[in-house]
Amino acid sequence: MDSLLAAVIIGVSLGGQYALLALGFTLIFGILGVVNFAHGGLYVLGGYVAQAAVSKLAIPYPVAVLAAALATGAVGYAFERFVLERRIDDHLATLMLTLGLYLMLSTGILVTFGAESVQFAFPVTGAIRGNGYYIPLENLIVLATCLLAIGAVYLLLFRTDFGRASRALADHRAVATAQGMRPHQLFPLAFALASGLAGLTGALVTPILSLAPHVGDPVLATSFLVVILGGLGSIGGATVAAFLVGLIEAFSGVYLGGSKGALALFIIVLVMLVVRPSGLLGRETRGA
Amino acid sequence: MFKLSARRRARTEAAAVITLAATFAVPFVTSSPLVFSILNQILIAIPAAFSVFIMLRMNLLTFAVPAFMAIGGYSVAIAAANGITDAIALAVLSFAIPAAVAAPLGAMVLRLKGVYFVLVTFVLTEITQLTLFEMPWLTGGSNGLVAIPPTTLLGTSLSSNRAVLLLATALSLVAALIAVSLTRRFREHFDAIGENALLAQSLGLIVWRYKALGFVVAAGLSGIAGYSLVNMLLTAHPSSFSPISSVNYIAYAIVGGSGSIIGPIVGSAVLVWAANLFNNHGEYSPGLFGLLITLFVLVGKDGIIGILSRLASAPLASDASSPGRHSKAAAVS
Amino acid sequence: MRFRKAKLFHLPLAILAATIIPAKAAECELKLGVVAVLSGPAAQWGIALRGSAELAAAEANAEGGLKVGADNCRISVVTVDSKYTAEGAAAAANNLVSQGIKIILGPIGSPELTGLKPIAVRNELLVVASSYAKNAIGPQWPLVFHGGPGPSGWADPIIKVAKQKFTIRSVVVVAPNDQGGTDIASVVVDAYSKNGIKAREEYYQRGTTNFAPLVTRILNAQPDAVDLASSPAGDAGIIVKQLRQAGFTGPIGRLGGPGTDEIARVAGGYDVLKNFYWYEPVLIDDKVRKIADDYRRLLNASPPENNLFFQWVAVARILTKAIARAGTIEDTKKIADALRALPVEDEALGKGLWIGQEFFGINQELSFPFGIGLILDGKVQALQRHDAATGK
Repeated sequence: MDSLLAAVIIGVSLGGQYALLALGFTLIFGILGVVNFAHGGLYVLGGYVAQAAVSKLAIPYPVAVLAAALATGAVGYAFERFVLERRIDDHLATLMLTLGLYLMLSTGILVTFGAESVQFAFPVTGAIRGNGYYIPLENLIVLATCLLAIGAVYLLLFRTDFGRASRALADHRAVATAQGMRPHQLFPLAFALASGLAGLTGALVTPILSLAPHVGDPVLATSFLVVILGGLGSIGGATVAAFLVGLIEAFSGVYLGGSKGALALFIIVLVMLVVRPSGLLGRETRGA
Repeated sequence: MFKLSARRRARTEAAAVITLAATFAVPFVTSSPLVFSILNQILIAIPAAFSVFIMLRMNLLTFAVPAFMAIGGYSVAIAAANGITDAIALAVLSFAIPAAVAAPLGAMVLRLKGVYFVLVTFVLTEITQLTLFEMPWLTGGSNGLVAIPPTTLLGTSLSSNRAVLLLATALSLVAALIAVSLTRRFREHFDAIGENALLAQSLGLIVWRYKALGFVVAAGLSGIAGYSLVNMLLTAHPSSFSPISSVNYIAYAIVGGSGSIIGPIVGSAVLVWAANLFNNHGEYSPGLFGLLITLFVLVGKDGIIGILSRLASAPLASDASSPGRHSKAAAVS
Repeated sequence: MRFRKAKLFHLPLAILAATIIPAKAAECELKLGVVAVLSGPAAQWGIALRGSAELAAAEANAEGGLKVGADNCRISVVTVDSKYTAEGAAAAANNLVSQGIKIILGPIGSPELTGLKPIAVRNELLVVASSYAKNAIGPQWPLVFHGGPGPSGWADPIIKVAKQKFTIRSVVVVAPNDQGGTDIASVVVDAYSKNGIKAREEYYQRGTTNFAPLVTRILNAQPDAVDLASSPAGDAGIIVKQLRQAGFTGPIGRLGGPGTDEIARVAGGYDVLKNFYWYEPVLIDDKVRKIADDYRRLLNASPPENNLFFQWVAVARILTKAIARAGTIEDTKKIADALRALPVEDEALGKGLWIGQEFFGINQELSFPFGIGLILDGKVQALQRHDAATGK
């Protein structure tokens, strides 16, 4: 297979996965100002919920994916409402609280489901094969879901009261609160939405890759990279950045390999941030 | 951020230095390997937590501690392998080289504000880790540098458990003195930057200069922690400087209390000790650690120090707390 | 309460006393230390190691304790999480030392063993480690033993079998880029080269989740076979899945360790593995399966999933045998002498050898008969038994 074409196809598939991952992360980041360390944990939890629904309850896979999104959304709601909300104005405290959640989640998953990867296969297999290239069908499904999810979140943020209020809170919490927005009602919902997206991604992506308690660890780093590179709280920026990171990873992975490939990715990100200190499509900054 | 009056600040600074100085006595009082081991880990964590503390003073969260620890630790390992084993020379080296690396980086990185700074420090740590793998002729690659000759002082080898612990104490104390003098000397500047960098700049403060200074000193303190770690293990291994370990040092500073210099010391002591305790519980250990962090953050603003100082300043605190403590102790036993 | 206080005050003294004064028959307690990674991606290995020590202890205790000299010693197991880092293992070892423990099983990871050895030397600990590091054991560490050979012991015979079954002239060996990968892949590459197979190494960053770029790189080299060496089973499963998806039809090997069931689960079944060969540390037969049953019976829990568990049970058993033979639970030098003098034999695993002189310069590596696994056209073949590796 032609390496160049392969790298482009792989890069776009990776980009789709990363965009989906980053979507929930950027929502929490943008609206609540919270760096959510538990994002990877919720991703894994989504995977296990879907897997258990399919293998133990014989629920059809698409329904299981929705169940995973709902379950992780509920965890996110409860966590924000009962834990995070108490210290929501202290960004260092929220960082520690999401870290605590992550550690407890991953321990709970390890103890409950065991350390080894479980069987969880994507129901659709096969690939579109052409002259010198192939595109796995599962990657196309992830890509389509990703675009749908981005569209849905976009509509939610720009066409509903929830979205308008959330954006107002994101822009200036004190002013928005003074104008009657209710952060303590909106924040749990926003956190639930973002957690649900993490769970959805996990349910969708882990059967394509693998599902074990630790597979969420790299998720945080990737989401972090994508979201900040894209520009804080910018969905468009995160999407562009996701595909950019996917393409860079694919090209450096194919042409350099090993740690050199990973090194190239990080150096390019570093250079991009130095050139554009507010991210690709970012406007302003928030303390962290 | 948590503010202390000038007198209380001076008192906490003195307490920090005295606590660390008092630690010199420990290896002469006990020889328990557990005490030695945990205390050594705490003393390694303290300079690293100071590094986070200094950046937090300017409202900057850094994930770069393992990067500069690695630079300091590997510098020492390479120097020792080439015959420089004097403790003072190595300590200077472990501070100076990371600081020298941080200086040009600072110029580039400190234009960034808030979360963008966070990401860049995170990326720096990843790059450092990967560079260790890519330079095996210097760093030993994935196997690291092993069998490093022990540090010496005035020609005597500091290889015994006690000597290693004393050196770690000395390094921690030096780090505390550096952190105290930096934050004392530039307190107003750091506070102004921490509260509102833009305003500080418009009032004529050359913000980047102080940020760069803080960044460079913080890098040097991480380097000292790296020396202490390498000296304990006599090994410089990439697994000791993993990017994710940065979270631990951040936790030590925040859970301890980022409002005063004694916070990182208390945070390091409590969390390192707790982590060692939890490691006896196998796969439950990370979860227990997570639970502990959560509880501390929920219970106390400004970390453990915040909790303690509220207890201390509460009226009747001393009277009310003593019978309470007794009954609690009785209940526990 | 007064008693407690007193005990706490004199804890260091008590430990000291325990090491000096020989314990009485009824009070003899042998504490086995286990330094094992129990969190993070490598947790399944640590869980298997801990399980092996617990089973060996339970077996001895079920017979009224281990007979050491005139005493019947109850064995207890103390496990500390070593986090797969050098400092984690050092801290774990110090923790065990402070509890008066002198005999340690594990650790598994190469960085862990690197961090643990100085503590072991300082405290004269007897260590039976399981790492595949190139410098796991050596003449400078006479009290450090190796629970089972690394690829230097078994890669060669497996490659010979693979060569018979498949046409392999070139191979790409894939492993993560850290000590757990490079120390094994480089030895595996040497073994392929010795068998006249052109081999090259390809490393990936640990934490990689999607291996499509790596797969493209591998296929560009157009190898006859791909060997996944010590890539963790989860990663190996994804690589196999993506290799097959990309149209690779050649045989895939894994000269790194067990976990083929897990690889198949991730890859999507044995059909996807298609043609596959691997190192299985023990020949899984009825005798070995009985170990799992014993575990269920004695410990009333499910045995660890990883097959290394079986190998490590044999290691833990031979270690307790050596302690009994030495007649001491304190003098680690005596125990080491007894261990070296013991014939390598286990009721389930059969007869083995002491090896290691050629590769490590010291004959302190336990080698038991092992299994060679083969999948041909998606069908799992019965494991081939191979005599204990000689390391020559």
